Amino acid sequence: MLRVDERVEVSVDRVGEPIGFWWRGAGYLVKSKPIRWFARREWWIEAARVQRGIGAGVLEVEMWRMSATSNNKDRAQFELVHTLDNSGGQKHIWRLVRVYE
Amino acid sequence: MSSFIHLNVASAFSGHFGVTRPEAMVEAAAAQGIEAAAITDRDGLYGAVKHIGACLQLGISPIVGVNLAIFNESGEQLGRCIILAHGHSKGKGWAKLCKIVSAAHASRQAKAVKKQVGIARSALAELLANDGGCTVLLGPDSNVGLEVVAGNRNAAAEALEAWRECFKTPGTLAIEIVSHITEPGTELSVLQARRMLQLADASKTPTVLTNAVRYLTPDDALTADILDSARHLEPLGLFKPQPNAQAWLKPAKLMQSLAVEITEDRDRALELFSSTAKLAKLCTLDPVTDCDWGRPKTPEKTALGIEGNPFEVLWQKAHEGIDRFYPRANGSLLTQVKHRLGQELITINKLGFATYFLTVADVAQMIRDMGIRSQARGSGAGSLTNYLLGISGVDPIEHDLLFERFLSVERSSLPDIDIDVESARRHEIYRAIFKRYGSDRVTLLSMQSTYRGRGAMRDSGLALGLDDEQIDEIAKNMWRFSARSFRGALQTKPELAKFAEEVEQDRRMSLLVDITERLDRLPRHISMHPCGVILGDLSLLQRTPVEQSGLGLPMSQFDKDDMDPMGLLKLDVLGVRMQSAMAYAVKEISRVSGEQIDLDAVPRDDAQTFKDIRTTNTLGIFQIESPGQRELTGKHQPTEFNDLTIQISLFRPGPMKGNMIAPYLDGRHGFAKPDFIHKDLEPILRETWGVVIFHEHVIRILNRMTGCGLAKADELRRSLEKPNIKPKIEAFFRVESAKRGYSQPVIERVWSVIEGFSSFGFCKAHGAAFALPTYQSAWLKTHYPTEFIAGLLTHDPGMYPKRLLLSEARRLGVKILPVDVNFSADEYLVETVAHKTSNSDEPSIAVRMSMRDVQSISEAEVARITEGRPYKDTADFYLRAKPTRRTLENLALIGALDSLAAAEATRGDMLARVRQLNAIKNKKALHANQPTLDFSVLETLPTGNPESTKQDQVHAELSILKMDVSEHVLELYRPMLDEMGVLRSDELVGLRSKTEVLVAGVRVATQTPPMRSGKRIVFVTLDDGAGCSDSTFFDEAQSRCSHILFNTRLLIISGKTRRTGVRGVSLMAENAWDIKELWQQWTAKKKTPLAS
Repeated sequence: MLRVDERVEVSVDRVGEPIGFWWRGAGYLVKSKPIRWFARREWWIEAARVQRGIGAGVLEVEMWRMSATSNNKDRAQFELVHTLDNSGGQKHIWRLVRVYE
Repeated sequence: MSSFIHLNVASAFSGHFGVTRPEAMVEAAAAQGIEAAAITDRDGLYGAVKHIGACLQLGISPIVGVNLAIFNESGEQLGRCIILAHGHSKGKGWAKLCKIVSAAHASRQAKAVKKQVGIARSALAELLANDGGCTVLLGPDSNVGLEVVAGNRNAAAEALEAWRECFKTPGTLAIEIVSHITEPGTELSVLQARRMLQLADASKTPTVLTNAVRYLTPDDALTADILDSARHLEPLGLFKPQPNAQAWLKPAKLMQSLAVEITEDRDRALELFSSTAKLAKLCTLDPVTDCDWGRPKTPEKTALGIEGNPFEVLWQKAHEGIDRFYPRANGSLLTQVKHRLGQELITINKLGFATYFLTVADVAQMIRDMGIRSQARGSGAGSLTNYLLGISGVDPIEHDLLFERFLSVERSSLPDIDIDVESARRHEIYRAIFKRYGSDRVTLLSMQSTYRGRGAMRDSGLALGLDDEQIDEIAKNMWRFSARSFRGALQTKPELAKFAEEVEQDRRMSLLVDITERLDRLPRHISMHPCGVILGDLSLLQRTPVEQSGLGLPMSQFDKDDMDPMGLLKLDVLGVRMQSAMAYAVKEISRVSGEQIDLDAVPRDDAQTFKDIRTTNTLGIFQIESPGQRELTGKHQPTEFNDLTIQISLFRPGPMKGNMIAPYLDGRHGFAKPDFIHKDLEPILRETWGVVIFHEHVIRILNRMTGCGLAKADELRRSLEKPNIKPKIEAFFRVESAKRGYSQPVIERVWSVIEGFSSFGFCKAHGAAFALPTYQSAWLKTHYPTEFIAGLLTHDPGMYPKRLLLSEARRLGVKILPVDVNFSADEYLVETVAHKTSNSDEPSIAVRMSMRDVQSISEAEVARITEGRPYKDTADFYLRAKPTRRTLENLALIGALDSLAAAEATRGDMLARVRQLNAIKNKKALHANQPTLDFSVLETLPTGNPESTKQDQVHAELSILKMDVSEHVLELYRPMLDEMGVLRSDELVGLRSKTEVLVAGVRVATQTPPMRSGKRIVFVTLDDGAGCSDSTFFDEAQSRCSHILFNTRLLIISGKTRRTGVRGVSLMAENAWDIKELWQQWTAKKKTPLAS
């Protein structure tokens, strides 16, 4: 397993499921039905504030797992973190966190 | 799939698990347009009654269940399950649920499942065999769910089969499908849910979908993390936390997509929705027929030992009381008594409460038969029936109290009768009540304590893994503000300034503030209500679940607010320490002098008693010893019993906010002519110089001016607090009083008084009931100060530390004898001492200090010491009383062994001796198999050690007894105080207003009462041995000395005197200093000769 933490550009379908992404200059195509789940964060280590109403984003994070391939590479499993940046419009942010080869 | 009913919902009453109060949960469900809402708290029905009440109010159907741990026959966990009661079953489902919960707590005592609440599966199955009544849900937390997660498909199927074997009655078992969309393959994942569903379908077990709800919104998940930490007693990060923030009350649409995601089949998802709805329907409760909602339940006639019609029995008993309580009543009084009793009895009969009164009278009689002091309090004192039945000791006719304030046909809720008893003997009374009526009809009442400032902060600190001492340091400065607005308080409270800085710089401190705010007001834990006993009929245990209280007696899981809705009769048997203190004083009087005193028969107009009260030296007197009451006493100068009733009622937040005190005092002292507004109101308000103080005043005014009758008038008065009804009352009052010829200006003014009064006043019956022990304690203090002080020290009834009582004793000239192992007991005994100094032979009496307050001493040690008396010397004491090393040394340090020493020995010798003996003990431990003591050591007495100084003695007393016995601690600093020109507190009363002075003393009270302006004012009371001085700190003064304002014990305060009345004087503080700091500087200066 490879641990990484890199911003990636992701294309999604109509319901928001990833269909492909760009990573380290290569395009990857999703080859399995992506699985989504919610993982938690250790906010007591990371967060600056947890006041009432701050929202569950401090505590939980949306995860996606999928198989994908690039032109010249073998199929691998990828895990992506999906967050929304609320400052100035709703911007989707995707980070690649794990690769299982 | 339009609506969805959540069947697994933990409320905040699931201790340290649920986050949201049931009312809020129900409101949210109703807002989503759902027709029913469930509550399934962990281990009990703690929130059930509030849930049902909220459902009824919002017009939706209640569902109630419980979340319980289940065990197999050998005591192994089978996980947690939800058990839901079936509704519309004439109470069968509810009764079974109650029994299941009670059984789960009862088995706590069994060895197999030590400490953990839970029920054996076989026991549960047995309760539901034959006719069902509840449905058990096997969810992700059950053993079936856990096997599924582990991937053991066969084991899961076998586990399910075992459950199915036990629960064959149709409708008693279902599989609960839950997904919190966690990581695939873990608990609460879609995969687990899907496999559970497959397992259920393969065995044709019904399925329901839930979201295992712990909180209302995703944001609340953070609070749930903290509760988890409090439950595990571990900081976050050291235990397995909740997987994510999905356990919220999701709307139908999201539940629908969950169902589709789990089933991957729209039809199966639809089916899952409809089977959930079907179970919800089965479990919908009808509160009236299922829970016996609102029907008053009182013990059966047989339990009370009466025959025939209860009302006739009540009528007879009450009339028998007339001869006893009005033996010399003449014609007109007798007519009045009989007429009033008749009226009251008609009302009682109409309401069907005869059995209730007989029950309370029976309990009151039982308490008297046990020889325990008791007295009714509250509005019940307004009832002549209560007086004649011996429940209350205040004559409602003499004190002009109203029955209608207590009970009327306009209101049908069970009335409250509270009985105050000696606190030291209240458990005896509880046990006797259980014995008399049987544990089928009686349980104790519980209460839910909630997180408040400091508690919230401590558990928040624990969650973040912060240092205990650091938390304590901050918590100490949390004064009078709601933790809910903690962050706001950081900016405004000077004593938090240092902490506010840390919050700026330290992220963890900032988190601490946020989570403390989150915890505030959440239920914290359940405990025994301090005084509530529930008396019901034989159906009681089918209506309420019970668990063991700390006292060992069963306790209902419902609290006081649940009583009225459930039709349960609650009797408050409140332990009042003052009653114990007075009973003790009376006992000591009789033991020492043989004189028998019946406190309740003492005439209530003793001039000397009132004279002493007027000096404002009221320490130790019930209700009027607080700094504020002392100040009011100085202004008010009470002369008769009714004055005490008024004074106690005046000193309440309401009258203080409503500014009633000044006009009353002006009227009383003739500074202003009383204004009765109208001559018709004069008879009503004469006693309070035109000021409306009592509920009874408003009731009478409304009745007088509208002719509505007293009962209706009380209903109007109660409704004044409801803003939506108030306009109607105003209209009624204006129209009716105008009809009866009152002029517009009068109507206008009276209405403005009544309107302003609404929440302010006090029930006079309550005030009069309080005034009785106030008078009685004052009478004892005046005529039997030694015995009274002994009672106070033994039972510690007041708000002050015991050392202040000693100071007061010295001021009164009561002799105090030191702790002495040959004479002291576990109580403060009154001792006869021969006069040595004065010429008269008459023996005087003194209070002997008790051994109980010696630090580190155990009850067993006190008992051993008392048993082995007398001791002839220290070695004898050491060998026979077998004190621990620490106790022995502590006793020596406070001089408790002085009487065992040879005449010429010093306290220093005694200490050396004790240390010598303790050394033997050490040696003995080393050679345990050598039983004989080295008697040679026992025989060598140390001599020549210095006598301990006065200062050492007082410090030893303070650290070991928390009391300065040999002299007032301030005496140690007297030279400095004299040099500084510090005044004694009893000198203040002779000064003009605005004199600049210094006072000193030991802090005895710090108060921050609510103020009309909203600004915070701090009152500090110091004791200097001559009495108490009270200083007021306003904003500026507070900021000058904020670092010592709340915590420093020995203070010097500078300020200006402010005269408040005949004997009232207080200080407007300007600044304050720590005496110990000043002392260091002063002594240092004394040592170094002045340079110039």
